[in-house]
Amino acid sequence: MRRLAPFVAAVLLLAPAAAASEHHPTLNELENEIMCPVCGTTLAQSDSPAAHAIERDIRARIAKGWTKSQIKDSLVRDYGEEILASPPKHGFNLLAWLLPLAGLAAAAAVLGVAAWGWSRRKPEPETVSPQSLNGHGPIDPELDRRVDEELARLD
Amino acid sequence: MKLRPARLALQALALAGVAGLLVLLVWKLTHDPGGGVAAQLSQGKRPQAPDFTLPRLDGQGSVDLAAIKKPRVIDFFASWCYACPRESRRLEKYSRTYAGRIAFVGVNTLDAGTDARKYVQRYALTYTIVRENGRKVLNAWGGLPIPRIFFIDRNGKVIGEMQAEEDLPRFLKKLALDA
Repeated sequence: MRRLAPFVAAVLLLAPAAAASEHHPTLNELENEIMCPVCGTTLAQSDSPAAHAIERDIRARIAKGWTKSQIKDSLVRDYGEEILASPPKHGFNLLAWLLPLAGLAAAAAVLGVAAWGWSRRKPEPETVSPQSLNGHGPIDPELDRRVDEELARLD
Repeated sequence: MKLRPARLALQALALAGVAGLLVLLVWKLTHDPGGGVAAQLSQGKRPQAPDFTLPRLDGQGSVDLAAIKKPRVIDFFASWCYACPRESRRLEKYSRTYAGRIAFVGVNTLDAGTDARKYVQRYALTYTIVRENGRKVLNAWGGLPIPRIFFIDRNGKVIGEMQAEEDLPRFLKKLALDA
């Protein structure tokens, strides 16, 4: 329950802002959510006459007290769904929201399966090399052989 | 758990994804008009006019382009378009000259309904004005920029698009002979 506290706090903090944005939209925020129908950019980035005409309409509707949804619905009626900068979250357009999430989930699954496979792989038997007694790494086998030969000769 | 089935499933998924993208590409290539009527005209063809049924701007029913059994002129316009008023006024003048012989249809596109109605009132347009929501019809004919004016003979073939000022009276004379 303690882990959920930050999420609950975030929802409680953001909910009033979202409600205010819905009931008292501003031209600035709508400019970033509505596309210019002739230039392929949002209204905020466009200086075309078509964009200015839509901004005038939005301003007039805000002045009349329309909500953000009402303004967007009316623009969709006039210009089609292409006028929205983000696709609506229903019907075929829902794919635009779900596919990136599905892609992320698939990538996470692939990584998970691969990591699981790597962690389960049996380690290959290591070749044992003679260790030096002073702890300074393995002794060169050739050197080891020559030392043995010299010692045998001394015996 | 063995890795092999999982790997096979992932490979099948990847192949399905690639196949899906290929199907989309083929669908796009076969269904996209690729510049619409305007592109076909520029290749020297005389395509059949893509039909449309659109509501009248004044709310008095709708207009089916194919149901008009005489030569037609259609003009795509919007209230925000700087070059549109001049062509709308010329069309209004010619619509009186050729009344009864040639049908004039203005297609308001990518525009707000209220702005379009003000436009029609301001320029006192009396010929038929229909309105499309979105841009499907406009795209089928060639898309932006507007104004775009097309000439259709009585059999429904598009015989030309206005490219220069003098094209309008020239094509209208041709259509009137066909009427």
